[in-house]
Amino acid sequence: MSDPTKQFFDDLAARGHVPLLKSSSGTLRFDLVGGGRTAHWYVTIRKGDVSVTHDIVEADCVVRTGKELFDRMAAGTANATAAALRGLIAPQGDLSLIIQFQRLFPGPPADCADRSEAGYARRAT
Amino acid sequence: MSDDLVKILEGNTFVVSDARGDIEASLTDPTGLFSFDTRFLSRWVLTVDGQRLTALSTDDLQYFEARFFLVPGTGTVYVDAKLSVIRQRAVGDGFHEELTLLNHDENAVDLEVRVEAASDFADLFEVKDALQKKGAYYSRVEGDRLVLGYERETFNRETWVSATSACKVDESGLTFKAHVDPHGEWTTDLHVVTASVAWGETRDKPKYERHAKHARPNQERSLEKWVDDAPTLQCDWDWLKMIYTRSLIDLAALRFSPRTSGGLSLPAAGLPWFMTMFGRDSIFTSLQALPFTPELAATTLRELGERQGSRRDDFRDEDPGRILHEMRYGEMTAFEERPHSPYYGSVDATPLYVVLLDEYERWTGDAKLVRELEYEARAALAWIDDYANLMGDGYIWYQRRNEKTGLENQCWKDSWDSISYHDGTLPGFPRATCELQGYAYDAKVRGARLARLVWKDAAFADKLEKEAADLKRRFNRDFWVEEGGYFALARDTDGRRVDALASNNGHLLWSGIVDKSKAGSVARHLMGPRLYSGWGVRTLAEGEGRYNPIGYHVGTVWPFDNSIAAWGLRRYGFKEEAARIAAGILDAANFFAGRLPEAFGGYPRAITKYPVQYPTSCSPQAWSTGAPLLLLRTMLGLEPIDGHLIVDPVLPEGIGRLELLDIPGRWGRVDAFGRGRVDADKKPRERQHLGVLDHDKRPRPRGKKK
Repeated sequence: MSDPTKQFFDDLAARGHVPLLKSSSGTLRFDLVGGGRTAHWYVTIRKGDVSVTHDIVEADCVVRTGKELFDRMAAGTANATAAALRGLIAPQGDLSLIIQFQRLFPGPPADCADRSEAGYARRAT
Repeated sequence: MSDDLVKILEGNTFVVSDARGDIEASLTDPTGLFSFDTRFLSRWVLTVDGQRLTALSTDDLQYFEARFFLVPGTGTVYVDAKLSVIRQRAVGDGFHEELTLLNHDENAVDLEVRVEAASDFADLFEVKDALQKKGAYYSRVEGDRLVLGYERETFNRETWVSATSACKVDESGLTFKAHVDPHGEWTTDLHVVTASVAWGETRDKPKYERHAKHARPNQERSLEKWVDDAPTLQCDWDWLKMIYTRSLIDLAALRFSPRTSGGLSLPAAGLPWFMTMFGRDSIFTSLQALPFTPELAATTLRELGERQGSRRDDFRDEDPGRILHEMRYGEMTAFEERPHSPYYGSVDATPLYVVLLDEYERWTGDAKLVRELEYEARAALAWIDDYANLMGDGYIWYQRRNEKTGLENQCWKDSWDSISYHDGTLPGFPRATCELQGYAYDAKVRGARLARLVWKDAAFADKLEKEAADLKRRFNRDFWVEEGGYFALARDTDGRRVDALASNNGHLLWSGIVDKSKAGSVARHLMGPRLYSGWGVRTLAEGEGRYNPIGYHVGTVWPFDNSIAAWGLRRYGFKEEAARIAAGILDAANFFAGRLPEAFGGYPRAITKYPVQYPTSCSPQAWSTGAPLLLLRTMLGLEPIDGHLIVDPVLPEGIGRLELLDIPGRWGRVDAFGRGRVDADKKPRERQHLGVLDHDKRPRPRGKKK
């Protein structure tokens, strides 16, 4: 069974360095609630260098949300900012970290697909 | 009418009430307490012994504070001079209201004081578009506090109302039994807290304690300090001092601190409906204010960078590298009935982001921020080529992907009919308006400077410079309307010129994309009778198919647009022309008591004698507030070059002496002085108008002299 959340964090850990987070530093803790349990993921960012762990470390920003919602954000079918405005994500601590971090979620799969279609920008010149 | 309304605000929290301080809003009526794009109070009505009150006077003490002097009774029928009521209100995380009753009689009185409170929790978009709510309301008494709430699924907003004196709380308000001694007073404090606003934030107490001396917004940066820190202006044309002070105070009111900024502020777009982050407006206002309050630019760059697009999302018109257009926090955004979480549908904010970063460094020498934002600046530059280049021809194009709630025109002239051919017909999409190409050119040139100087990447700088030169060459060929001697408003998908003559030519001068050989002709058009009204440059020239002197982007004069045109004219050496633009806009500012509206009518000055305000509910508007600041810069010819501030003043006739002292920058603080010509025969008070002389002095046809 696919687990988009695990996939997302695994991919993130594999990347190691994320230029998008170059100006961020701090630790995020995600408390993902679902199936009667809460899973904890820790993401530590040091100027774009990213490590992902389940080990307990002190967090600068704690983000509590549903596992099912996180799956959808990780798959690009839910938007984090809109979900937060609906009260589905309760971040505590350094808000800047989660606002930066949520930019790592992909866009809707269909919207990303049309990039290669005709009429779109040609990258190489 | 809106003129009788009293508005106070702090950040994106504001209160709009009638002259009595009461709020009685309907869904379409724009009064109430608003915060984070949601109305938290739609009813707030004070009665004494069941009677409404009458306003004797209202003081706007500060932009965040107002005082209402009231007497019981309504209208002209009956005024009880034995009793006065004073409400003093300060806004901030809700509001704080000091309510005082003064008994002028020799007998004690016992009164029933009641405050009715209710909220419809309307989204700002609902107030503007009169839409119906989908969730459920509740109202309950929790101890000595009234809680008003609204719930839709997990979306929850609450308003808490309480008082410092004993009172009876019910589900629709607070009732006090007030005993007031002879010549005595009775007082209580009312607290209204917007308890849950956005991002799960909750508040449990009002921002301000009793007595307004504590009621100061942005504690570390009070209004007095804000004005003190800005350069000091001295001028023999008195009105300029008034306009300058007004601009500084309004700019202070327009400051908005996103929750991620650590209390630092960027300019929001307009008051009260646009108190949020706008890419374009925040950038332009920061540019205009750079010589005065450079910290606004730094916060704008950081906060917009933090929210820079990172993925393809059609609903939000988002791409990697794109700078946001508008952020909103209300219910419709939350439920994705509107795309503002944030919405990315503008194509100018992204190149302008790079322009601001470079201009900021030139003024402040803050290379650290340029290093910090290297990734963001490179992503913005890449977006120009990779995502805005919709036709693959190297120009910036726009076409919304969100066809339901996205913006059709993604340039600053964003109304439906703003982009037209000379004959008035509208081009299809995508569209490539001319000023966008100028911004792209400037972004590349400035990006190259930053790459060479700060990022130490000469290869990237070379690449950008080559691209810029190529863009300039093609642009001067593809957009130039040979027979008219100006640049077309846009290019259509068939490669045709959208050939209307518009103010966008001023932006082109500012960007530097205009060939020197063409600049004279462009300047003549900007100052010619078709575009120049005597007050300023019209958005669209007289004689164009869609010209309308009171059409939003098709004939009105925009002060912001003119300040950019003046900067552009200076850039190409047209100093006198830039001074004439300043003269007209400053004259207009004088008519508007120092506060320039977003736009005013394009009627010729010789006909109307005064600028006709375009009807709009938003005032002050950030980039109109910034216009006089940029005009001060252009009049004095302030230019940071090689670490020094160059001063090269050319003043409009009528200003004899202009001094701007303590201009902050990489040089520390320096002073700039300008001397100009005045008509010595006229006393200072007779020289109220700077620009009108131009019309009087036009050569009259021979033979008509008496």
